[in-house]
Amino acid sequence: MTATAVQESTRAPADHAPGNVLAGTGTLIRFILRRDRIKLPAWLLGMAVLLSFFVPAVSELTETEEQRQDLRRIMEPAVGAIFGPGYGRDDITPERYIAGVYGLFFFVLAALMSMLLVARHTRVEEQNGRAELTRSNVVGRHAQLTAVLIVAVGANALLALMLGGTMTANDLDGSGGLLFGASVGAVGLVFAGITALTVQVTEYSRAATGIAGAALGAAWAVRAAGDMVRDYGSPLSWFSPLAWSNQTRPYVDGRWWPLLLSVGLAVAAAAVGYALSARRDVGAGLVAARPGEAVAAPWLRSPLAVAFRLQRASLIWWTVALAVFGFMFGGLGDQIADPKDMSQDRIEMFGGSVDTLLDGYLGVITLFTAAYTGIMVVLGVQAVRSEETKGRAEPVLATATSRWAWFGSYLAVISLGLVGLLLVAGFATGTGAAVSAGDGSHVWDVTAAHLAHAPGVLVLLGIAALLFGVLPRTIGATWVVLGYSLFVGLFGTITDLPQWAHNLSPMEHIGQPPLDSISWSAAMILLVVAAGLMAAGLAWFRRRDLETK
Amino acid sequence: MTTAIATSGLVKTFGPTRALDRLDLTVESGEVHGFLGPNGAGKSTTIRVLLGLLRADSGLVKVLGGDPWHGAVALHRRLAYVPGDVELWPNLTGGEAIDLLGRLRGGLNQARRAELIERFDLDPTKKGRTYSKGNRQKVAIVAALASDVELLVLDEPTAGLDPLMEVVFQDVINQMKAEGRTVLLSSHILAQVEKLADKVSIIRLGKIVQSGTLTEMRHLTRTTIEADTSKPVAGLERIPGIHDLETTDGRVRFAVDGDSLDDAVRALSQFEIRSLTSHPPTLEELMLRHYGDELIAAGNVGNSNGEKPGNGNREER
Repeated sequence: MTATAVQESTRAPADHAPGNVLAGTGTLIRFILRRDRIKLPAWLLGMAVLLSFFVPAVSELTETEEQRQDLRRIMEPAVGAIFGPGYGRDDITPERYIAGVYGLFFFVLAALMSMLLVARHTRVEEQNGRAELTRSNVVGRHAQLTAVLIVAVGANALLALMLGGTMTANDLDGSGGLLFGASVGAVGLVFAGITALTVQVTEYSRAATGIAGAALGAAWAVRAAGDMVRDYGSPLSWFSPLAWSNQTRPYVDGRWWPLLLSVGLAVAAAAVGYALSARRDVGAGLVAARPGEAVAAPWLRSPLAVAFRLQRASLIWWTVALAVFGFMFGGLGDQIADPKDMSQDRIEMFGGSVDTLLDGYLGVITLFTAAYTGIMVVLGVQAVRSEETKGRAEPVLATATSRWAWFGSYLAVISLGLVGLLLVAGFATGTGAAVSAGDGSHVWDVTAAHLAHAPGVLVLLGIAALLFGVLPRTIGATWVVLGYSLFVGLFGTITDLPQWAHNLSPMEHIGQPPLDSISWSAAMILLVVAAGLMAAGLAWFRRRDLETK
Repeated sequence: MTTAIATSGLVKTFGPTRALDRLDLTVESGEVHGFLGPNGAGKSTTIRVLLGLLRADSGLVKVLGGDPWHGAVALHRRLAYVPGDVELWPNLTGGEAIDLLGRLRGGLNQARRAELIERFDLDPTKKGRTYSKGNRQKVAIVAALASDVELLVLDEPTAGLDPLMEVVFQDVINQMKAEGRTVLLSSHILAQVEKLADKVSIIRLGKIVQSGTLTEMRHLTRTTIEADTSKPVAGLERIPGIHDLETTDGRVRFAVDGDSLDDAVRALSQFEIRSLTSHPPTLEELMLRHYGDELIAAGNVGNSNGEKPGNGNREER
């Protein structure tokens, strides 16, 4: 090559044809795939692996007629409406059960995958200012949205094939598997479209995914309500995109046409997204971010108030969610604890005696609520930890706020919050049970049972607090304790665990009320242990260096 | 004059890294003390030890007469801090964050809060997650400067501020100085420290390598002299302390150590000076003399000022 050689122009011609709003789409697709080369395969493989775990597990649960009776209970109206319309419950097979009940989990996962994918490559990019960099190149106005939607379509199509393949690999009917996979992928597609719309509206991606998530919750509520109104779904159900994916009836009398509705909605939502995106500037939303208060509320003046302010949203949402969960499952108590045709395993799980099945069932629900409260507690301590690692604790601790006051305030707020949550959730569950069984005494019994779990959850908080003080990187180990406690509580009797193994779980010592009577002495000991752990955590935290950015 | 900050033999290690290596720092009450050093020299670590957020492995620390590790709370009532990398709560507004930090410190001067928000052109109604880096910095600055405290500890406070806001900042700091407050101002923006600081300490690899007033420091370094003379210059190279001598018909240019300045000018005057310019050393040059070896290693020595500080360094070694 000589110095005078003319370099070939690599620039796109600056024509003004309509096609150039899509300029650069191909490059952006490759760019998205490169950036998500771990995330996207992890989501897809994760879902396929999850399904491949469910198939043999459910097969084991459907061996005897008794077991199938148990499962039918889950697919029948009211309870069934939570998961789906319940096609195929009269002759339960593993694949029908997976499509009918576990399908909901896959719908939610596919929707989340698609929502996060679309938001990540549209609004998040704009929010961080990277979109500016990209768009200043030869990249058309609609290229980014188009690229990510193409990736989303591809990912959901691949998901459909992988789920169908997993079913086929487990010797289940291939065409039914493909229909099930396509139903899941269709939900993903719908929510990719909806997110393409919501990211145009708000300036911040969290709000955009929040609105899309609310749409998912609403879709579930409409479908559940519709399916409760009438067996196998009422006209109301058909207003929900989740219903369309259930109404394909995989493994029963499969039909593909409901998925046309899904594709139609996805296309329509995305089209609105395109239209909206053309009416706004890069980085801007259609709705301006709401300004807040210029001055802090007068009560926001102590470390305790600050800790409460920062944990408030989490406490409220967890309490509301668990109260609703409790009321719903409490209300279903009478139906689920009906001893007719119940298998021995399930009777064992509900306390072992046919006479006290309802109390046993309510005890299991109480344990679940306590475990969920434990999740809130661990997340709460992890939030405190991220205050430290993200550098927000530093300026606070450079004011006249001691380490004790700072961390102690969080522990106090979480402690009071978890007791309050158990009180409210217990009352809601008890009320639900009282309504369904027509026996008012459940209200007090179940509320007391929930409160009786507070010392155990406080011990969990104590463990997390101690780890925060001593080895803050290991706070995650608290999850192991929580998971173990839940396992022992649910399966301890069935798997004949030795007593010492029971004793290791902080949730075991007070018994399993309302079935068992509450052991107050154990509760006292747990409270002392919890207080000791928290005090040790505080003392260690006072002695260690603050971790800074 | 009392001492606001005094450390001696301060050592802080993180695993194998010796972040502070026998650091001695003294800040007198009422002065603006510039704390200079490149990234990673130990500025932020020193400040966090001074605030009692980190515990020194050994050595003495006294801040406002007390031990910051044990008496952190009492001490923090009397000082305000702006971190180098300000993070705000995503769902609290800037105004809420200012009030929160101020109240936790023991109260805010409302009039000054309003004045500072106005002067820094800050919108206090925006949520923390929506602020740019510069605006987060402003929130922390307002929160700190609106408190009536004796000591301000500012860790690279103007990183991310635009030049206009930097002028406002300098103005406010001068106001603080006039009110008799003590300011510890860490920075690697030398021009800023030069404008504000009464005294400067230079930290390098966890040690204070230079400390003093700017005038004192300038004696330690070289002044550049350029002169036109009627008679050809000769014999200057015999004067100790003269470096980089260049003579081109009737024009002479050299760098001279602070101590030899008098001798050099005396010698020069024999050749009938027609014009004379002298450049006092900038802090860039001070820094280059202390960090020059690292910069040479990194191949970074530029002649941006027409100086050859790298050569000077090599001669010394």
